[in-house]
Amino acid sequence: MIKNRHTAFASFLVIIFGCILFYLGTDGFTAFTAETARVNQLIDIKPKFSDVTFEDSKGRTYSISEFKDKYVFITFLYTSCTTVCPKLEMNMSKVYDLLPNKYIGKDIVFLSISFDAKRDDPATLEKYRGYFNSDGETWRMARISNQAELDSLLNAFGVIVIPDENGNFAHNSAFYLVDKQGTLIDVMDYKKIDEAGQKLVSILKKDGGSKQ
Amino acid sequence: MNQFFSGFLLVIFLALPPVAHLLESIMIVHMHMQMPLLVIAGFLMARLFQLRFPRFFEKWNGNGIPGILLFLIIIVFWTIPRSMDEALNFQSMEIFKFFSLSILAGIPLRDSWKKLSSFGKNAVIIIFTIKYFGMGLLYIKAPVQLCNNYLIMDQLTLGWGFLTTAICLVIYLLYVTFTDPTKYQ
Repeated sequence: MIKNRHTAFASFLVIIFGCILFYLGTDGFTAFTAETARVNQLIDIKPKFSDVTFEDSKGRTYSISEFKDKYVFITFLYTSCTTVCPKLEMNMSKVYDLLPNKYIGKDIVFLSISFDAKRDDPATLEKYRGYFNSDGETWRMARISNQAELDSLLNAFGVIVIPDENGNFAHNSAFYLVDKQGTLIDVMDYKKIDEAGQKLVSILKKDGGSKQ
Repeated sequence: MNQFFSGFLLVIFLALPPVAHLLESIMIVHMHMQMPLLVIAGFLMARLFQLRFPRFFEKWNGNGIPGILLFLIIIVFWTIPRSMDEALNFQSMEIFKFFSLSILAGIPLRDSWKKLSSFGKNAVIIIFTIKYFGMGLLYIKAPVQLCNNYLIMDQLTLGWGFLTTAICLVIYLLYVTFTDPTKYQ
């Protein structure tokens, strides 16, 4: 009987330990993959968009201050990608279509950033943007040629890019929203188009209301 | 003492940076080779602890249930995609992996296994079978990359590794159900 009490108590302790371990290991049962944990953490930290030089599909170069006083809706991609990137950009174009015209270009700009600076020169980006009806103005596609600048941005935004042996990259994908001050304020699931669209409209509406 | 020593050497060997790096560079080797080897190392080291502290094991793990529960919890924890990623991203998680799989899983497994009834043993194997089928399907069917440190291809390989292991466990379970070992003794 006494022995039973001991083992029952030990089992109880072990189960408590297990609960604590799983609770801590998954941020309170919310993040079972490192990707979810990354997104939750990013939204908490709100990193600033670092100082980088873009070169866009029209060959223009500028920094993030080009988009001052505008929200910037961002994705990261490379044009030789055959798997997730076309889907990501297709979904991005659907979000673009969901937004009322009055906001586009004035309050919000779309920006696709390539992390494959070697292959994605302006001419390649110019061709690629055509596939998704991006106008190159209110939805721009650009590369960051300076590797150190690119790395610091990817690192700050938690984009993990792993090159494989066939010249492709494995990478995580999401919609990133940067506010008018250049701070990352949201990371959205790129598969939930309507949700992202609604969120953008409500943010822009609120912003427009406070301006008047 | 000899057993303890060989288990201890195994942990040290697995912890050598080039060895750890090589094993962890392939997802399925990370989960189905490095992690079980750590458990085996703990299993070998357990002998010393059993001889040193027989009273402790007798008192707190008399029927083997607390030990086997601890073993299950640790093993399940290390099959969560996130834990695997974090072991690669954070040194502290890597240390915890080595500690937990050898000490918290290997030792209780050895102490508990002999104490469990055959029903208890089969229950553990059935739990693992279900879990491996589940994890296998998860890794194969998941439309997204579950671990940021590994490619989708690695994920599929791991999924099939889980499924084949689960199939082997089913074969074993069928074997013990339909054969009578006393006939052959």
